[in-house]
Amino acid sequence: MSRVIAFCFLLLAGVLGFLYLDSRPVWTPFEEAVVSVTKEEQHQVKLSSLTQPQLDWLPDTGAASVHAASLIALKDGSIRAFWFAGSREGAPDVVINSAVYDPQSAAWSAPTVVMDRIAAEKGLSRYIAKLGNPVPSRAADGRLQLFFVTVSIGGWAGSSISTISSDDEGATWSLPRRLITSPFTNLSTLVKSPAIRFVDGRLGLPAYHEWIGRFGEFLRIESDRVIDKRRMSSGRGAIQPIVFTDGTEHAIAYFRQTRGGSQIKQIPVSETRNAGQSWETTGDLQIPNPNAAIAALTLSNGTRLLVLNNLDAGRYRLVLLMFDPSSSAQANHWKIVQVLEDDEALSAEQRREFSYPFLMTSDGTDAHLVYTWDRKKIRHIHFGSAWLAQLDSQLKDQQKEGGQ
Amino acid sequence: MDRLMQTFALIEISISSAIIMIWLLKTIFQINLPFAARSILLILLGNIFFWPLGFFMELPLAAYVRGVTGDLSIVSMVLLWSSLLPTDKSNPIAFKVAIGLVAIAFYPLALGFSMFDPYVWGYGSIGFLIAVLVFAVICGLANWQKGVWIIALAIVAWSFHWHESTNLWDYLLDPFLGIWAIGSSVNSFRLKVRKQVQSGYLFRAG
Repeated sequence: MSRVIAFCFLLLAGVLGFLYLDSRPVWTPFEEAVVSVTKEEQHQVKLSSLTQPQLDWLPDTGAASVHAASLIALKDGSIRAFWFAGSREGAPDVVINSAVYDPQSAAWSAPTVVMDRIAAEKGLSRYIAKLGNPVPSRAADGRLQLFFVTVSIGGWAGSSISTISSDDEGATWSLPRRLITSPFTNLSTLVKSPAIRFVDGRLGLPAYHEWIGRFGEFLRIESDRVIDKRRMSSGRGAIQPIVFTDGTEHAIAYFRQTRGGSQIKQIPVSETRNAGQSWETTGDLQIPNPNAAIAALTLSNGTRLLVLNNLDAGRYRLVLLMFDPSSSAQANHWKIVQVLEDDEALSAEQRREFSYPFLMTSDGTDAHLVYTWDRKKIRHIHFGSAWLAQLDSQLKDQQKEGGQ
Repeated sequence: MDRLMQTFALIEISISSAIIMIWLLKTIFQINLPFAARSILLILLGNIFFWPLGFFMELPLAAYVRGVTGDLSIVSMVLLWSSLLPTDKSNPIAFKVAIGLVAIAFYPLALGFSMFDPYVWGYGSIGFLIAVLVFAVICGLANWQKGVWIIALAIVAWSFHWHESTNLWDYLLDPFLGIWAIGSSVNSFRLKVRKQVQSGYLFRAG
């Protein structure tokens, strides 16, 4: 009799399980990047962007060490930045700061603390030893969502991702929620790169593992839950994926290489042809990478930008690269269009670190870049639309000449 | 609701931690505690783990444990909790071996050994759910109803999204269950071989 009751309960569980599976959303294509700019806005953009790139700094918090800045456009046209700051990377006093950039006045607001260790551990109901990379995104319902790294035990290999959201563009935030991404006590998933959107409004968040394996993963996010994920690479050689979508099904991911020993130090690449449901590794992008993060952006005209350290070792040079898929059939046809920082002339001890770039666009035609400047400050550069268009035009001319 | 679910998670960890403490007490001091004593200890230790104690600690003890272990799988939790009951019997060796083998195959693949990731099945694979149900039916047919109940509870908890994870694997398996299953299986075989050696079975004429 007890066996019959047990089987009946199992039957009930099976039915509930099937109903739950049936209610889960199907995997959908990527949302096509469409940026609509009115004529008036275009006019304003062109007038305001005929100048050279504008450089400034994110506001100083007084912290000895700052790192991992990221950006998102707000609904009113301003830009919100996030970064972590503390006595050193991985210290318990590290907090996630935020500030808002007003494009009209070209000025940053005073920094505020979005998250600290104590608030994180109280909200997540578990011990948190340190905080890491913050990455903002826009949820399907319009809320601002921030993914950030937390560590309870060990180094960055012990990381997990948590998320908070804001209904008022970052003035106030919800309690944090933990994303579960790994079966081994949820250890070792980090985030660095911006999410991409599916047509159903859900997010595809490029993430990575950094423990036994070092590989990329593509998380499908619904609100504050991971509802699916796919492996983008395997082994111990590729982390921090950035994704270029090309239509609704095709995308290419570039990685920061973490290969050991004498292996080639170039950018590993993976590709999907089914909106991220499966990925396969392809040949390297033949640009040097010294085990350093890269940033990527696609403008509304299809022009692609990369910011990276084009070195085999060290992070003392940072460059902006451009590639126009419409004028070049070669996927590897990236050209350096601007050297942003270069300490090559200095001795090895004097060289500073320029790292962790993050790119975003406010209207599809311009680009905002933030990066760590010698771990002491965060540099912000605004590349205006006219300046970028001019570079794009020059690039096309060069490619035409090269093709003749 | 969010806060409530976090509180439930801390209660689970507090009870599990208290039971492990009781097991450690029994093992270290070689004592056989009656059910009433175990119950009193469970209430006492569970409360110590659950409530903030102050001193230098910002959180309850259970939150520190949870920071390291995460949420235990439902299978682990029910096996652990049921060990406190007076009617509890030892779990079948075949179950431990099966869990151990699954863990040995699963974790290297899930942690990036290749592009194949079986953890993905836990998000939405009907085939995987059917395989789990079949495993539970086999437990029942082998006259181990406890296994049927445990797996059914794990599936119900997953379908109601009881823990933070939406992946069925996280309700069925965790590294601690895997380690226990492997260790327990190895120990069982070791004892079996020793018993056979002592009985002279290995040296009996063929």
